[in-house]
Amino acid sequence: MTTIIGITLKGIFRDRVFQGIMVTACAFVLIPGLATLSMRQVTELSLTLTLSLISFIMLMLSVFLGGTSLWKDIERRYTFSVLGLPLSRQGYLLGRFGGTALFLLLVAVVLGIAAGAVVAFTASVHPPDRPIVWGTVALCILFDVLKYILLIAVAFLISTVSTSFFLPVFGTIATFLAGGVTQQVYEYIHSPASKNLSPIMKQLATGLYYLLPNFSAFDLKVNAIYGLPVPANGLFLTVAYFVVYVGLLLSFSAAIFSRREMR
Amino acid sequence: MNVIDITGLCKQFTGKRMTKVDALKGIDLKIAQGEIFGFLGPNGAGKSTTIKCLMGLIRPTAGTAAIMGEQIGSVASRAKIGFLPENPAFYDYLTAEEYLRFVGKTFKMPEALLTRRADETLKQLELWDARKRPMRGYSKGMVQRVGLAQTMIHDPDLYILDEPMSGLDPIGRALVKDIILDLKKRGKSVFFSTHITDDVEKVCDRVGVIVKGQLEALDSVENIVRQGIEGYMVQTRLSRGNHEALGGFAVARTNETFIEYFVPVAGFNEFMALAGQHSVEVTLVETKRKDLESFFLEIVGKGK
Ligand SMILES: Nc1ncnc2c1ncn2[C@@H]1O[C@H](COP(=O)(O)OP(=O)(O)OP(=O)(O)O)[C@@H](O)[C@H]1O
Ligand SMILES: [Mg+2]
Repeated sequence: MTTIIGITLKGIFRDRVFQGIMVTACAFVLIPGLATLSMRQVTELSLTLTLSLISFIMLMLSVFLGGTSLWKDIERRYTFSVLGLPLSRQGYLLGRFGGTALFLLLVAVVLGIAAGAVVAFTASVHPPDRPIVWGTVALCILFDVLKYILLIAVAFLISTVSTSFFLPVFGTIATFLAGGVTQQVYEYIHSPASKNLSPIMKQLATGLYYLLPNFSAFDLKVNAIYGLPVPANGLFLTVAYFVVYVGLLLSFSAAIFSRREMR
Repeated sequence: MNVIDITGLCKQFTGKRMTKVDALKGIDLKIAQGEIFGFLGPNGAGKSTTIKCLMGLIRPTAGTAAIMGEQIGSVASRAKIGFLPENPAFYDYLTAEEYLRFVGKTFKMPEALLTRRADETLKQLELWDARKRPMRGYSKGMVQRVGLAQTMIHDPDLYILDEPMSGLDPIGRALVKDIILDLKKRGKSVFFSTHITDDVEKVCDRVGVIVKGQLEALDSVENIVRQGIEGYMVQTRLSRGNHEALGGFAVARTNETFIEYFVPVAGFNEFMALAGQHSVEVTLVETKRKDLESFFLEIVGKGK
């Protein structure tokens, strides 16, 4: 499995994905300038923009790397040669997943450091109203990473049943969009405002709420931007949710992938 | 012990709109340790399907198979073999050297041995100069060579090769034949598919012919060649002896100095006796046999 992780990382680097991200990350340099235009809360705005940019890059990575990893191997017929080696299908899948997740983490660390430098620079020119709590900013990025690792797991699960890249890529995007609103929808249907919704709709929505990933808990942007404290037991619950959900997704993926015909 | 043991292997593919293809219809086959086995068959006969089943890439619809006593599909069944897929493709962003190292690691080779074997196989397959280039830039034959190299790096006891000669130039083909003969000398077993009868005749101990998912023939190359003897071409000198006495035999060819008779196996002794009695000088006797190719064509033709 570690050999597969190594091969996966090598593949991503050789495909110049990392270089591409670094070029995109040059947009960081523009952020202080852009933020200054707003005249007020310049540092808060730069923090918002950098965190959003990191989030966006990670979304792209998890959709495209996660959604095409297995598909590429099957499409380019690498599976025949690799799965003929004494590797288990489960090990292979987990290695592929692990490599992609590790790359995402690496990107987040590098971008996080760059973002820190940019925001620190802005803060030195335009001192913010509240001091920046760097620990919370780091925590925010870390939970974003967890969120996208979960999304990669979703992409892998869809890839194990799909024969094209279309379904994994768009399925992952759809899951991402839906996962961002499930909490709101859930709260809405359990509020008096949804009185005239049919009970079937309510049950369906509740079912989806439990089935689809819930991304809102991973979102610590507001806390990071305004330096608000983060409740520890909430974080603990989110981590537990992440572990269980990803564990389930990967178990299903591994079970499906090991039964899949390579023809 | 048999290195490969296949019993009643069936495979049905279900395509789009529920169309069904019976690719394998009950294959029984045993390959002994140290044997070089040629798996012959026309296009679409089921050779690759059989091999994919053995490698656990697809699951048979019915029947079982074991490799060195391990049920197919398990990691253990793949732990002691070298496998070359049909028209192989390898991670093309890696170099040949990196790929071989990757394969060696999956076979848990110790580092020092891995380095030595990688160098040896790269040299043996004439990939040495290209070893540091990504495989993306390799020609078809070079990729095939990488494929062969990655089956050999860990020096397994059994080789399963799907069309090992495909895409190779004549020098490459000769090299592969030499490699297989060398493996045989060292007591290794080789199971390879091909449609080229000549390759089989040169290197194999035994051959199986598969046609439309069924094993139509299974015999040693020696037997096939021996059974294939149809008769003899006997060349005699025209100027000596009484050739009218041999009138019962078909004349295949004549020129100013020689007459050539075609003598069936059963008539050979009689011919030689008559020739002796009538002082006909025999200058050359040549065996006339069907080669493996015509044997193969006959079997394939029968299936139609
Ligand atoms: N994925 C698949 N789906 C449906 N049918 C298939 C599939 N793969 C193979 N077949 C069918 O199974 C049969 C055997 O195919 P196979 O690839 O084993 O032939 P082969 O003997 O290797 O031929 P070749 O010499 O051309 O490589 C063919 O009739 C083929 O159409
Ligand atoms: Mg084939």
